Amino acid sequence: MLPFDPANVTIAAMLCWLVSLTLFAAARGNRTVKATGHVLYVAGILILAGLLTALWQFMGRAPLRTLGETRLWYGMFLPLIGYAVYARWGYRWMLYYAALMATVFLGVNLRHPEYYDRDLVPALQSPWFVPHVVVYLFAYAVLAASAIVAVRGLIRRARTTELNVADNLVQIGFGFLTLGLLFGALWGKEAWGHYWTWDPKETWAFLTWIVYLAYMHHRIQRPQQVRVSLWILSLAFVILLVCWFGVNYLPSAADSVHTYGRS
Amino acid sequence: MSGMANQPTSENLRRKPIWIPPWGYAEGWMIVSGLLMVGFALQLAGGGLPSGVLAWPVNLYTALIFSALLTIAHLFGRSVPLFAWLGRVPATICSIALITFLVLIMGLVLQDDEAAAPWVRRLGLSSMTSSWPFLLGLILFLSTLGMATLKRMIPFRWRNTGFLLNHLGLYIVVLGGLMGSADVERRLMELREGELVWHATDRAGHVYEMPLALELIRFERKEHHPKAALVETGSHRLLSESKADLFEIDSDIRGHLGDWEIEVHRFLPLSMPVGDRYEPVLDVGAGPSARVTAVHTGTGEKREGWITCGSFAFPHRLLELEEDTALAMTVPRPRAYRSQAVLYTPGGTPETILIEVNKPYRVNGWTLYQHSYDDRFGRWSRTSIIEAIRDPWLPVVYTGIFMMLGGAVYLMFRGRKLIIPNTGETTRASV
Repeated sequence: MLPFDPANVTIAAMLCWLVSLTLFAAARGNRTVKATGHVLYVAGILILAGLLTALWQFMGRAPLRTLGETRLWYGMFLPLIGYAVYARWGYRWMLYYAALMATVFLGVNLRHPEYYDRDLVPALQSPWFVPHVVVYLFAYAVLAASAIVAVRGLIRRARTTELNVADNLVQIGFGFLTLGLLFGALWGKEAWGHYWTWDPKETWAFLTWIVYLAYMHHRIQRPQQVRVSLWILSLAFVILLVCWFGVNYLPSAADSVHTYGRS
Repeated sequence: MSGMANQPTSENLRRKPIWIPPWGYAEGWMIVSGLLMVGFALQLAGGGLPSGVLAWPVNLYTALIFSALLTIAHLFGRSVPLFAWLGRVPATICSIALITFLVLIMGLVLQDDEAAAPWVRRLGLSSMTSSWPFLLGLILFLSTLGMATLKRMIPFRWRNTGFLLNHLGLYIVVLGGLMGSADVERRLMELREGELVWHATDRAGHVYEMPLALELIRFERKEHHPKAALVETGSHRLLSESKADLFEIDSDIRGHLGDWEIEVHRFLPLSMPVGDRYEPVLDVGAGPSARVTAVHTGTGEKREGWITCGSFAFPHRLLELEEDTALAMTVPRPRAYRSQAVLYTPGGTPETILIEVNKPYRVNGWTLYQHSYDDRFGRWSRTSIIEAIRDPWLPVVYTGIFMMLGGAVYLMFRGRKLIIPNTGETTRASV
């Protein structure tokens, strides 16, 4: 058992964002209020980073094994990327969506805290474990931000230039996705003897990768077809979610070696 | 894309009658449908792909001839509408769509399923990677990828490095993996303590003599501590309320499970029953046990006794708390398992080696993996199964993988090109 309750820490982070976003909405040009909002937003991210560090310390293994643990990372990365997008391109709304989405994922954790025992099966004890999963979760968070742009664009009839943000996010997210996939291949060779076995998780990871590939090529050739691009981008994120969560429930994944540990 | 301004815009592509060059999406979807029809027809007529046809050296020749044909088509066949089409984005998107469609089926239908419906099996849907449609899809994919790569490769320019790392890297990975798959050898060696083993079996049950021999000195399995949990007395199912807070058993440790406060007085990682209690022993068949007290937080009722998950040599034991609830110890999960063995190779001196999960041992082109053990006996297994794998095409595939790793990093640092509104032109060549 943990010497502290992760739920309270998670709630603290969520409260930081809530207050921060309220301050942004109410600031009306007041610089002190805005600055407090920024401090609280970043504080929420740091609180989660602290929680992950503490879990890592206490369990003596990287907190990346269960779905619940991966959601914590996601809940940290998403607002981080939201903040970076805001800082780089000035999209204030990204802060709201990123915090909202992170809250949803962390909320699931409050209801299903499927952590935190120390057990780590031999197959996961590898130097590849941390880079493989962290790179993937970072990619998922960046691509979630691109999906937010896509859904917003579909609702508000985005124009070509507005897709530049999505394109930049996909470019970065796809780079990390590729790294995750290839790290997985190199690890697979060490652990199971082959770099690619079409395990259901691999199959869906490949699907995710190739649909983003289609998006990038479609953007190059038909930059004017904004809606088609937005639909591909939304579909890609649905496939990504199937790969992350859905695979555990698919009948085709009955024998998968990738199902998250459920104690 | 370079030279994009010279190409027809999407508007006049759409107005142009089909099969009049340059080909675009309409022709692409026709080609994709045609390939699917031919693929499924071949599958129905002749079953899956014949296995082993691409064994060495046929695979090497096939890879070289295929690549040479693409190069010739690129250099001398630009006036042929098909070849011109293969190197452009519409072909890329069509071939990606075809692969996505087939892999999506693979992702939804359980593969290698003996119990699949007959029509699923006849169409090859439950053995996708060895089906004709998949092979044809990959050939189209490799052709478009190869042609697009050649366009940027000849003549070589440094600014195309990122593009080439990604595209040529992927081409090498897919072609190398596809061609190399027939040359992969996977064999199992079943080792028993003190026995010299030089034969191995493949999945089909064929026995081979190996160019190496192994003698198991010791199989070793380390375990995590077991956990305390509340279970239903009859079914032994974990009670949902306690799933979240199973706690790790150790000496002098306290924890809560449901309404009960549990105290562990003594934990014996290796023990055997002696009368009504348990004593530490190191013999074969020993298992974990713990002396515990449970106090109900509401009523103050107290239960005291031993719990154990048992082993193959003695049964498990619960501590009954309420009529249908008991305290149980979960079976410990493995922390590590490995085999210590003596390795004999022709002409080499015998050598003691360690083979562990995630730490395979490489010798003379073979890689030895800790595969499994006799799990009926758990940590006391005296059998260890080693998987020996040889994949001569691995250096080829790894070359491609490392190129793609470089390409991915390039992709992230370079950022996306900017699209100028209304013209569709790009300011920089993209990756």
